Amino acid sequence: MIHKFSVRSAGGTAEPDIRELGRSWELDDLQLWRDYYVEFDGTPDPAALAQVAAVLGDQLDVEVSVDQPLEPGAVQVAYKRGVVDNESDSIITVCALLGVKARAGKVATTYRSESPRLRDLVVSTRFNATIEELHDEEPQYDTLVPQGHYESAARYDLRGLDDTALAELGKADGRNLSLAQMKHVQHVQVTLGDEFVTDVLLEALDARWSDHCAHTTWKSLGSLLSRLVRAAEDVANPNVLSMFHDNAGVWDFYDGHALAIKAETHNGPSAISGYFGQLTKLGGVLRDILGTGLSADPIGSFEYTALGEPEAPAPIKGRPDARRLAGETIRAIKEYGNTFGVPMMSSRMTFHPAYRAKPFALGGSIGLLPVSAAQRGTPRPGDFVVLIGGLTGNEGIHGASASSAGATMDTASVQIGAPLEQVKFRKALIELREEGCLSALTDVGGAGLNSAVGEIGEACGVWINTALVPLKTAALPMWRILLSESQERMLLAVPPEHQERAKKILDRHMVRSTVIGRFADTGRYHVFHAPDLTEEALIAGSPDEVPAHQGEVGFDVSYELLDIEVERQEVGPPPRPSGVPSWPALGSAELAGLLEQVVSDAEVASQHHADSQYDSTVQGNTWYGPHYGTEHSVRTAYWAGTPVAGSPAAAVVNTAFNPWMFDADPVAATRQMFCAALAGQVLAGVAVQDVCMCDNFYTPHLSENWREWLVGMVDELAGLVRHFGVPLISGKDSSAGSVHTDEGIVSVPPAVFLSALGKVPHRDGLLREQWTAPGNVLVRIGLSTPSPVGTVAGRKLGLTTGALDDLALSDVDSYLAALAASRNLLRSGARIGAGGVAGALAQGVLASGTGVLLESASAESLFAEHRVGAVVEVSPDDVGRLPAELNPVVVGTLSPGAGILLEGTDLFTPAARDGWLNSFTARIA
Amino acid sequence: MKPTVNVLYLPGTNCQEETLAAFAAVGATPRLRFAADLLAGDERLDDADILCIPGGFSFGDHLGAGAVAGALLRSHLADQFETCRTRPLLGICNGFQIAVRGGCFGNVGLKVNTSGTFRNEENQRHVVDEENDSPWLAGLGGQTLVFPCAHGEGRFHPGSEGASYRVALRYEKESNPDGSFADVAGITSLDGLSFGLMDHPERAVDPEVRLAFFENGVRAVR
Repeated sequence: MIHKFSVRSAGGTAEPDIRELGRSWELDDLQLWRDYYVEFDGTPDPAALAQVAAVLGDQLDVEVSVDQPLEPGAVQVAYKRGVVDNESDSIITVCALLGVKARAGKVATTYRSESPRLRDLVVSTRFNATIEELHDEEPQYDTLVPQGHYESAARYDLRGLDDTALAELGKADGRNLSLAQMKHVQHVQVTLGDEFVTDVLLEALDARWSDHCAHTTWKSLGSLLSRLVRAAEDVANPNVLSMFHDNAGVWDFYDGHALAIKAETHNGPSAISGYFGQLTKLGGVLRDILGTGLSADPIGSFEYTALGEPEAPAPIKGRPDARRLAGETIRAIKEYGNTFGVPMMSSRMTFHPAYRAKPFALGGSIGLLPVSAAQRGTPRPGDFVVLIGGLTGNEGIHGASASSAGATMDTASVQIGAPLEQVKFRKALIELREEGCLSALTDVGGAGLNSAVGEIGEACGVWINTALVPLKTAALPMWRILLSESQERMLLAVPPEHQERAKKILDRHMVRSTVIGRFADTGRYHVFHAPDLTEEALIAGSPDEVPAHQGEVGFDVSYELLDIEVERQEVGPPPRPSGVPSWPALGSAELAGLLEQVVSDAEVASQHHADSQYDSTVQGNTWYGPHYGTEHSVRTAYWAGTPVAGSPAAAVVNTAFNPWMFDADPVAATRQMFCAALAGQVLAGVAVQDVCMCDNFYTPHLSENWREWLVGMVDELAGLVRHFGVPLISGKDSSAGSVHTDEGIVSVPPAVFLSALGKVPHRDGLLREQWTAPGNVLVRIGLSTPSPVGTVAGRKLGLTTGALDDLALSDVDSYLAALAASRNLLRSGARIGAGGVAGALAQGVLASGTGVLLESASAESLFAEHRVGAVVEVSPDDVGRLPAELNPVVVGTLSPGAGILLEGTDLFTPAARDGWLNSFTARIA
Repeated sequence: MKPTVNVLYLPGTNCQEETLAAFAAVGATPRLRFAADLLAGDERLDDADILCIPGGFSFGDHLGAGAVAGALLRSHLADQFETCRTRPLLGICNGFQIAVRGGCFGNVGLKVNTSGTFRNEENQRHVVDEENDSPWLAGLGGQTLVFPCAHGEGRFHPGSEGASYRVALRYEKESNPDGSFADVAGITSLDGLSFGLMDHPERAVDPEVRLAFFENGVRAVR
């Protein structure tokens, strides 16, 4: 029996969030409320319904109505049935507390207004047809439980198929297996001597050999990853504890502790649903940290999102536009990060037209773990395969095939994040680690169980019974269980002697756990579906025997047969641009006008509207950042935290990325970004040898010279690693940055996002950005990179094409050495980034309320972005003591006022201040 | 004998470690009380000198912030929770929301922030009420304490019935982050034993501010 509970403000008084929405829609009478549908076991009595209603309405000025159908003029938005409602479990829990049995719950949002515009407004801004359904009348549900059924595996005899038939089968049902790959599957069948292969094997190999899992693009271009790994190995930085072969890189910290770092992207899903795509990007990377070594605890997160211009429509009909994606991004980051309880170290949103078809949705995290647990674990034969966390549903399975699954199988083509599940197992994993209950673990992410089981089992061999996997639906075909990308799941290797203890720990944390198989000394990857082989029987079985009864076998294949060669493609050097455009000569008024434009650009402007919604202090270890300023809250150039209780040792994180520079010259941009991130660390107070980095490549695959640029960037990075001894210890490549749209192919620039992690033994030595005293002198230091190309001001002036400055690495060495040696002279220091010196000055004024008297100014001196440099504050007496290797150039003097004064004219106008404060919000809110 | 503190750990609690650290730093023996153990009857909520309900998003804030946890305290754990209310009780952020739903402060409410969304303020300023003689506030009256604000549903609403709470903290003038009635940032029960606040002293950078309330609470039960 399903009952509906509508929970709304009493007397029609709208809450602030609803009033705000009504204002933005110009609907004064907007009402918005939540409808909870609850499927009870049997028929609950009226007293039970009243109890449930009382809990749902347990808030001041709230009223609950039961079973009131949707009113005329109201529009209801609900998730499709395949999209499992995250609140369902809590509804069931509350009912259980009240002594009422419930099977499932569902939450919907209803909008009501007399305005005829209501429906269009909801559809255009609050409805995602991919995962939601819209109701003008009360929906009729037979059940709230997602539906699915078991289908026996399809069988294919490949032995007699010609190339055409093989190719066709490789692309059938949404798969993307090439002819060469299908020939290899044919070879597998022949080698095994089987009568057929199943769709389970085809799907498993489709995922295993995909670019996402196998990095085929990078392999085809000459083992690009191994070039970066070899460079790091050559450097032999003693801080490296683990790099590139685990879910995150691990960097030595102090006193037996280590730091893990990882960043990853969720670009494709974020184009379809900004909310769920961004939700799962953060959830996914946090899970990577949890699955590093024998589990690390996340201590900080960061995120970066590049979208198209908010004012432009989406280039694919039906897709959300950038403005909507921006709003959904903020909501998702807020909901996942805050709920998970990890401080936001850095967040930033960029608007660049190349990302209008497919955003750059990057999420990152760092974690803390003991050095003794830093190495990836190895399962031992006999260990149990234990699946923990969320249920497995029919979601996130290579899109097209999911939608063709039929009317009796509920699907969702994007992954659905449920942060509560992950919060629950976060501390349970640490407890399991400390109790010695884990041989190994990994997260269940892209390609689902297939990737997790397949990879972790490769050490010895593994078998699983998919019938034991707890499902959101009544049943699912074997391959869908294997490929589902349902979120918030982890896979553990638990020794038999610890299984009972592990179960107790997980139960205590209210984490769902199921033994689904065993690691085996077979060297084989073996998947079957046997509903009558229970978990109890599996646990009681012999550790070194595969159960005799296997129901239906999906595949049983030696790992050796699963490897496939990737065809190598030769590429030449990338083309390099030439010619540097000149900055124009501008008078004071023109400089002030340009400053207003620059500080109002999203690269410089306050993004307080977004990042004030992200918890930056949870865990109580944030020492510096992500904002500073006594007058205004200004973004810091780095974040520092002290994650070890009682220790002053600090982790330092900063990032570097500028898509406009990668537009111009990806190789030169790579060098500048690497050096900028490194120089930022050294400015903060970190020694060069204590810095490592994480790379996230996002490159196109249909634009001109994309291969050359990609190889050029990788080789450049490898060279930088060797030169500075700063290793990349983690990274990801996304090589699908070109999209067919209604307006043609849209490609992102070939680019790499760099995240740097450093460490210092004591937090007190870190240099802050806040100016300290009027009378002190501001000095620009660092390398000169005067090209306007890739700069904010250059864009405003139309100077967008041409070459970037070429940095001499020996000059960078000299600068970094001098910077490290003269930090005692610096009272404060701000890294130069977007907006150049002017951007740094404007934000300094806003943060401190102190003004600047400029010595002189030109467009170049103010707006060139000398990214391997900084604006530092020194006392007048110390200016002459700055070493020549810093290339010091006096910018001006701090003054008691609060402007940027040039010969009596304040360049920092009220309009510019207003632009810095409000332009970002105005564009997206 | 060190005073004992039970720190309620629910699915979705995420501020337990800094809370445990704060109590430990002022000489108490804090320990987590897991919801599963409480429901199974393996542990009790009321076997310590102090109960603390820390911050987080218990049960994912599903059905409303603190709603599921509040139902838990009013149903299966009602007797134990009543006992806890006769001793010092501290609710921080989500713990405050839970304590409100648990009935610690009468008919008050904590509603969606005026901004309609979560607000993060790293250096929020709070003024301690000078009239409130709650043990949690001893010696702090009139002081301005800076510690982080991070919540989405903290707009204090006094309710329509007679006041069954006392003001403990107010946001400094012009800095009310959530639109709370009369800038109220924290309250105590009439007897002063229960103290609830939305913001997070346990995260303060200044160690003295970080520990001030915890030190008072522990001193009261020594």
